[in-house]
Amino acid sequence: MGGAIGLLLIWGGAKVPWEKEMTREQRKATYGFSGPTAVAIREKVGQGLALAALGGFRGLAANALMLQAHGAWEEQQWMRVRSSLELATVLQPRVAVFWDTASWHLAWNAAVAAEKYGGEPNETRRRIEARRWVEAGRDLLERGTKAVPEKAILFQRLGDLYWQRLGDYQAAADCYRLALAKGDAPPYLERFVGYALDKAGDSRGALEYFRGLRKTMGNPPDPARRPEVVEREILRLEKKLDEGKIGASQ
Amino acid sequence: MSSCFRRIFAVAGNTFLEAVRQKVFAVLLLFGLVMVVGANYFTEFSFQEQFKFLKDLGYAAISLTGLLVGLLGAAQLIPGEIERRTILTALSRPLRRWEFVVGKYFGLTSLLAVMVGIMALAVWGVLKWKEVQLLGSEGTDPAVVAAIRAESMDPRLIQAVLLVGVKLAVVAALAVFFSTIATSTTFVIAMTLVVYLIGHLQSVAREQWLETGEAAGWGVRIFLAAVALLIPDFNLYNLIDEIVAGNAVAWRTTIEVIGYSAVYTSILLAAAALAFEGRDI
Repeated sequence: MGGAIGLLLIWGGAKVPWEKEMTREQRKATYGFSGPTAVAIREKVGQGLALAALGGFRGLAANALMLQAHGAWEEQQWMRVRSSLELATVLQPRVAVFWDTASWHLAWNAAVAAEKYGGEPNETRRRIEARRWVEAGRDLLERGTKAVPEKAILFQRLGDLYWQRLGDYQAAADCYRLALAKGDAPPYLERFVGYALDKAGDSRGALEYFRGLRKTMGNPPDPARRPEVVEREILRLEKKLDEGKIGASQ
Repeated sequence: MSSCFRRIFAVAGNTFLEAVRQKVFAVLLLFGLVMVVGANYFTEFSFQEQFKFLKDLGYAAISLTGLLVGLLGAAQLIPGEIERRTILTALSRPLRRWEFVVGKYFGLTSLLAVMVGIMALAVWGVLKWKEVQLLGSEGTDPAVVAAIRAESMDPRLIQAVLLVGVKLAVVAALAVFFSTIATSTTFVIAMTLVVYLIGHLQSVAREQWLETGEAAGWGVRIFLAAVALLIPDFNLYNLIDEIVAGNAVAWRTTIEVIGYSAVYTSILLAAAALAFEGRDI
């Protein structure tokens, strides 16, 4: 028995540096840094979930939270929706679809429900409450882009949120640019940068962008990138800017 | 040397057949398969979430079933043989004690490999089934079709199955080690389960031990050192979560974890053989 324990201790001395190095490499590949990550989980999860996290069944616990959030959404229990979704993203921060679903529930569903809430007659208060939900959704997506920085989807969603929920088109254009830099963005997204710049009032910037985009398509262009739409936008923006000049000179 | 292998294979084959004949393993396999197939009924979510649920539940079913099979199988390996006195018959033959331990382990891991293989095929089948369902309901947009196919036939899932398999092999080696020093099956199950759970916190204990320095008392430091030195780091297998999330995991990292598991298993079996050599039967 003593020999067995001795062998395990000698092996323990050899394995600790190996385990340390493997953990460092895995964290670097996964999170982009090599510090401890378990602390955040231990602080935020309840006893039952902590056990699941310990047992290597973290994915199951996170899925259960998503189901709980779905149930709470059907009952319009928005605080429960938020807490379940936030916990799910804490348990599995590398799952992009969790951040996406969570922000959609908060910035769209909860915010619209707050806007239409019959129990609050004051419209300003309803709008302030709706804005809070939108901000909560944005906060989640910003955290999500830091947790899964290598994928385009969350940057794209953040751009959508700035565009559709906050009306900040310049920020939307910036997010779409970041999404396009990731390499897995859908092809149509490259046009959205120009649309957002135009909506933000920067028609000249949009025109420059579309001209640059058309150049990158080469000759003959790839039809999947819809060069005819880009050319149409260039003509529209040129006309708009010319009309603006004429209007200004008159 | 070849007669040594023959004896090990004879013990392994016998252990495997004995385990297969027990109804409890068939019931566990059925339970796991029901879990995997049942996961197909989460349909109120986006297709990415549906695939994630399926994969998570599939791998959890493989892990849970494998863990139970490993625990119950190992618990009966040596304590069961001692209780039934069949070990005396086995060891009265030209069979060394270490060969007996290694043969028992290979018998158990063969059973685990068969179960993991069957359940992995079931997960693959359910993913294909989900693919057919979603292709019928989500329309014919080529981008959506490609995304659904990429989710259902992700080659990284092979990495996940391998990681689940080697994790179970380490758990089985732990259980075999405890079975060589235990007098009861309950002790083997309880100790293996405790080490399995603590193993998921081993990295936290190791970091605390290596980084606290003089800040912690001697008692705490000895406890943390014992956990770090004697217990495997099961968090290394959390790469499975990354794969299920659809993120890239390098094959090099997977192979390194497999190598770690192989070395750990060999050390545990050597320790089990040493412990069993000195044991009164």
